[in-house]
Formats: sequence, C-alpha cells, structure tokens
Amino acid sequence: MDASPTTLAAPAQREYWDRLAAKGRSRRRATTAFLYAVLVLGSLPIVVPYLWLFTVSVSGRTGATTVVLWRTLAILLPALLAWSILRVTIADAKRLMRLELALGVVTLIAIAVITGPYLHAQNWRFLWNKNIADDLKGASGVGGTYPSVWSAFANSLILAVVQMMLVVTVATLAGYYLSRFDFRGRAGYLRGLLILHAFPAMTLIIPIFLLMHWIGLLDTLTGVILVIVALELPFAIFVMKGFFDAVPWDIEMSALTDGATRRQAFFLVVLPQVKVGLIAVGVFAFLRGWEEYVFVRTLLFEKANWTMSLYLYWMYEDVMGTDYALVSAIGVFYVLPSVILYTACQKYLTQMTVGGIKG
Amino acid sequence: MARIELRATSKTWDDVVAVEPTDLVIGDGEFVAILGPSGCGKSTTLFMLAGLYAPSGGDILFDGAAVNEVEARDRNVGIVFQSYALYPHMTVRDNILFPLRFKDVPREEALKRANAAADLVQVREYMERKPSQLSGGQQQRVALARALVKEPQLLLLDEPLSNLDASLRLTMRSEIRNLQRKLGVTTVLVTHDQIEATTMADRIICMSRGRIEQVGTAEDLYHRPDSLFVASFIGSPPINLLQANAAGGQLAVGDGRLPLDGRADGKVTLGVRPESVVLGEGSLQGRIDDLEPHGRETIYHLTTPLGGVRALEAGAVARHKLGDTLPFRFADSLVFSTDSGRRIDGARAIAA
Ligand SMILES: Nc1ncnc2c1ncn2[C@@H]1O[C@H](COP(=O)(O)OP(=O)(O)O)[C@@H](O)[C@H]1O
Ligand SMILES: [Mg+2]
Repeated sequence: MDASPTTLAAPAQREYWDRLAAKGRSRRRATTAFLYAVLVLGSLPIVVPYLWLFTVSVSGRTGATTVVLWRTLAILLPALLAWSILRVTIADAKRLMRLELALGVVTLIAIAVITGPYLHAQNWRFLWNKNIADDLKGASGVGGTYPSVWSAFANSLILAVVQMMLVVTVATLAGYYLSRFDFRGRAGYLRGLLILHAFPAMTLIIPIFLLMHWIGLLDTLTGVILVIVALELPFAIFVMKGFFDAVPWDIEMSALTDGATRRQAFFLVVLPQVKVGLIAVGVFAFLRGWEEYVFVRTLLFEKANWTMSLYLYWMYEDVMGTDYALVSAIGVFYVLPSVILYTACQKYLTQMTVGGIKG
Repeated sequence: MARIELRATSKTWDDVVAVEPTDLVIGDGEFVAILGPSGCGKSTTLFMLAGLYAPSGGDILFDGAAVNEVEARDRNVGIVFQSYALYPHMTVRDNILFPLRFKDVPREEALKRANAAADLVQVREYMERKPSQLSGGQQQRVALARALVKEPQLLLLDEPLSNLDASLRLTMRSEIRNLQRKLGVTTVLVTHDQIEATTMADRIICMSRGRIEQVGTAEDLYHRPDSLFVASFIGSPPINLLQANAAGGQLAVGDGRLPLDGRADGKVTLGVRPESVVLGEGSLQGRIDDLEPHGRETIYHLTTPLGGVRALEAGAVARHKLGDTLPFRFADSLVFSTDSGRRIDGARAIAA
C-alpha cells in the first residue's frame, strides 16, 4: 500500500463501503417499520373503544348504528399506514413535516366528508337539559329530578382541585423534610410510607365510613377530599422526596451564604429545581380525584353532592337501555378534562421516575 | 476585609471527628491555602468559616469578634463551591444579581455592580445564558463573579479548579491569584493539589485527618517539613523514604551504612528528595530498573543496597540507560523519628 494506493484501490473500496452502507440503511428501515407495525397494532385495542365512544356520542341516535366508527376507521387505518411509510422512507426532517401535515389535512377532510351527514349534537343535550332522564323515562331509579350536570361537574372539580392542592403542599413540605433532615426513625418512616401505599384502600372502606360518621363528615365533599388526600399522600411524599434528593446541597448552601434565609433559599432556589415533580404529583393527584368513584359512592348520598362519576353511573343505570348514545356523550364529557390536562402536561410527566428526573 | 481567627475550633458528627480543635490566624488580605488529602476536613473548616456548619467547640473570630452565632447570610462571605453551585433555573445575570437581592441595593446600582463583576471575570457576553449552556471554565467564572459581587470580607474557594481541564486550570490559577491581589480580599483556598496551593497562596496550611500538620510557605513545607506526612504529601515525584536505624553516629539503611550528622537514636526514617540523589558519582551503588522520560527531566528507579530509590535528573536527554549500574550519592536528606513521625531538627545523613 505505498506509491498511489488511493487511485488504485478507490473503485473497489468505494463499492465495498457502498454495499455496507446500503445494508445498514435497509436494516435501519426494517427495524423502524417493525416498530411502527407493533405500535400501531398494539394501540388499536386501546384506541378503538375510545373512538367508538366518541363517534357514538356525536352521531348515535337511539338504536343507531356504528356506521361512523367503521367509516372513520376505513380512512384512519390507511392513513396510519401511509404515515408509517412516510416516517420510514423520508429522512429529510423538513420534507417529512410538510408531507405529514398534508396527510393529516387530507385525512381530516376525508373523514369530515364521509361522516358529516351523520353527525349531530343531539346526544349532548344533557348539557342544557337538566331533566333529561325524567324526560326519557319519567320518574325513575333515583327518584325524580336529576341534578344538573354542571353541579356534578363543579363538585368533581372542587374535589379534584382542592385534593390536588392539599396533596402537593403537604407532599412538598414532607418530602423536603425527609430529604434534608435526619431524625430518629427516618428510615422506618420511609419504609412505612411504601407499605402504606401497598395496602389496597378498599380494605379500609368500612372503618372509613364509620370514622366519617363519627366526626360528622359523612355526605360532605370535605370528608371525601380528606380521605383521598390521606390515601394519596404516602406515595406523593415518596416521589417528592426523590426529587428533592436530586437537588444538590451546594446550591442551597450557596443561597444561604448569598444572604437568603432558609425559607427564601427553599422558595427561590430549591423549589424551582423540583418543578417537574410538582407538576407530576399535581397532575396525578388531580386525575385521581377526578376519576374517584369508590369513596364518593360510599360516602356521598345527597344528589347535590354528586360528582361526575356518580352522575355517569346513575345515568347509565337509568337510560342506558333507551339511549346509550346519551351515556356515551356523558362519558366523553367526563374524560375530556383528563385528556386535556394530560396532553398539556405530558412533556413533564414523561420526565418523571420515582427516583427524580430521568437523564 | 477581615482578619480571621480560629480558636480551638472543632467539628464532630456523632462519633466522626471531622476537624480536631484547631488554632489558626489568617491575616487581613492574606491568601492562604488549606492543603490536604480528600476527607481530611478541609471543606468542613471552610463551611465553618462561612457559617454553614456550626463549630462543635471553640470560637471563630472575624476582626477579633466571635461570629459563632452569626448566621451565614450575615457574614458577608463569598464562596465558590467545588460544583460551582450555580442556580440552574436562572440566567447568568440573575445568578450574579442573586446576592444583591438581599441587600438594599437599588436595581440600577445592582445591575451596574453585576456588570462590573462579570467584566472582572470576563463573562459579560454570556449574561443571558443559563448555566447549562456554559463550559466548565465559564461556569467557574460566573461562580466567582457571584461570590465577588457583594464585595465580601472573606472569599472562600472550595477546590475551585478540580473540575477544569489542565490548560484551563493553569489560566484560572493565575487569574484568581491576580484578582485576589487586585481586590485584596482575605481568601481561603481549599485544595488537594499541592501545585495549586504552592503557586497561588501566600501561606499553606497542610491538614491531615482533621489536624493541622504544618503552616508555612511553600518553601517551608518543601524544605523543612515538620512531619513525615508533610514530607511525603508535598513534592512530585514524592520523596524517598527509607527505614533506618541510628546508632553511634551512623545510620544503618537496609544493607548499607551512612554517616549521620546531628543527634538521632533508634528507629528513624530517612527522607531524600529525588533531586537530591546525584547520579554518576559517590560511594553508593545502584542499578537502574526503570526510567521515565518526562521531557524536561528523567526519573530513574534504582535498586540499591539501601532499598528502592527514585532519582530525578534534569535535562531533555536521559544520560543513563536501563540496566546500568552506577555510583550515586545523597546531596541532602531529612531524618524523621519513625515512631512520632516528627522531623529531627539538625539531623542529616549525607553519603559522600
Ligand atoms: N454532613 C456530614 N455528616 C457526617 N460526616 C461528615 C459530613 N460532612 C463531612 N463529614 C466527614 O468529615 C470528614 C471531613 O470531610 P470534608 O471536610 O468534606 O473533607 P475534605 O477535606 O475532602 O473536604 C470526612 O470524614 C467526612 O466523611
Ligand atoms: Mg471537600
């Protein structure tokens, strides 16, 4: 390999490397294609029921068909396939985005055109018609008038938000203390937190009922909120402690020498480092409160105290046979806040692990 | 600026003694280095000065007044942590401004001072960035600016250069030194790197296992170490330590004998700096087992009747070969009592 190796060996070598490059490329594509196939097939059983719920809520009539679902799927599946192919074959990011955008628009228009004639807002009339169940069936299971859906919505919101604020506040303070201060029995306390979390809350339902009765919080939102906060706290504290553990002592000590009090150091320097933890714990606490069924079912009786889950339950009991499209619409209305919140915060939630922030 | 004094200051955690009762005076405007191996209590001492740790015993005095009870926030001490400890969610400007938030400095004036501090360490162009967008050296400068912006009476540096690469370390070493001279602020540098300590500080406090071993200039520590610990900790390549027995004006080292000046008896340790081993002449004989060319100098590993000996010879070209047997002598040496580890003043064994 002296004299002029480059000119001599060049064609043969180039061919050699080209072959290897082609091999690498096709293998990468095969892997990506396989991944998309698995993801699409795997998510179908999860997506289709929700799609069913949604399409029925905007198109179903009493005894109506599921034609909109099938039509939507008929467009959506080929679109998904096309999208996967785009992702696998197109490397240029800008071009890919343009094509994806075009595909999305075409898909939406196609769906709108072929399902449009079937769509209507009839099933959402529960939003403004307070007496909907009575209209459908006359005085029924719950005995006369239903509360307005907005009353149930407000109750759920109060329950979820107040509960979330309590959980976040207490978990933050307790997590900070557990992370920073040594006290006798600290290790046992931490172990206790995990054990508490491992207990199924259901086993406590009778004692909790009696307790609520004795302290006079039965059939109040306050009572339910306190119960859920107590059950949620152990794990939330544990998560927050993990986040605080990941904040170095140095920046706190630095703040103290810079002239901050301990409280100022906590709020100005430490707390901003655990923002992800605060959001994660807050979102999960909210969702837990929003979806709560068991304890509201057990501890609340007055119709004025109904939450969304109870409203949905009684509606289902009363009118499912006559108008399941209406129940579907209520279901969609019920999950909507969860979906919105989750979508807004998923960027932070995916960064969360029990140990703190993932790299 | 302040004159700092420790009076029997100590720190213990449960049963761990981090710092034994220590006395120390640091003069107004002086630059001292606390030098010692990892875990010897350097940072603990520094944090006691800053007021972050309360001493378990003794007093800390600033300008003659005890400050034990004074909180960290009121001590007006600037500190640069080993990790820099910049606030990750704040821009460089907000980091530098942070200490001024807690003083009654008007916004205009605060900005002016932050800019001046940033200029001092040349980070003015990064004011809008977050710490994570800076290199290690730039973060270090920002940390310095933040420590200096409040015009502290005492500047504490905890291993400030240990996370920098070699060439940057060299630059920052002289920059910090110059900055300290310019501002005249009393400064305590903590380091485990003897070069850092000797090149930057006026005076070095050598620590080991929570105790001060010796306080002195670089020259004191190198040429007149009080103890075996200081002798072996300072100097690179390290000093040769040979176990010996002193009796009747003679030193029995291994299979060899050396004449002994001064008074010493019983078990002693003979310390010979590698550059005090003169190769090519003298009454002792050794064989070269290994040699390391270092560019400017060469280090030889010799097998001798006295034991293994490291010798350092200046010069770009090695003058001896592997396997050579050659004469050598000791131009200078130190004698330590093996039991107490203390140096025996005036004792010396020179092989002619
Ligand atoms: N917060 C603490 N709790 C218990 N022991 C500590 C603490 N901080 C330091 N120590 C111990 O004190 C000794 C000195 O530590 P330090 O001052 O950090 O050493 P270094 O000289 O490396 O800075 C070490 O043995 C260390 O384990
Ligand atoms: Mg340290």
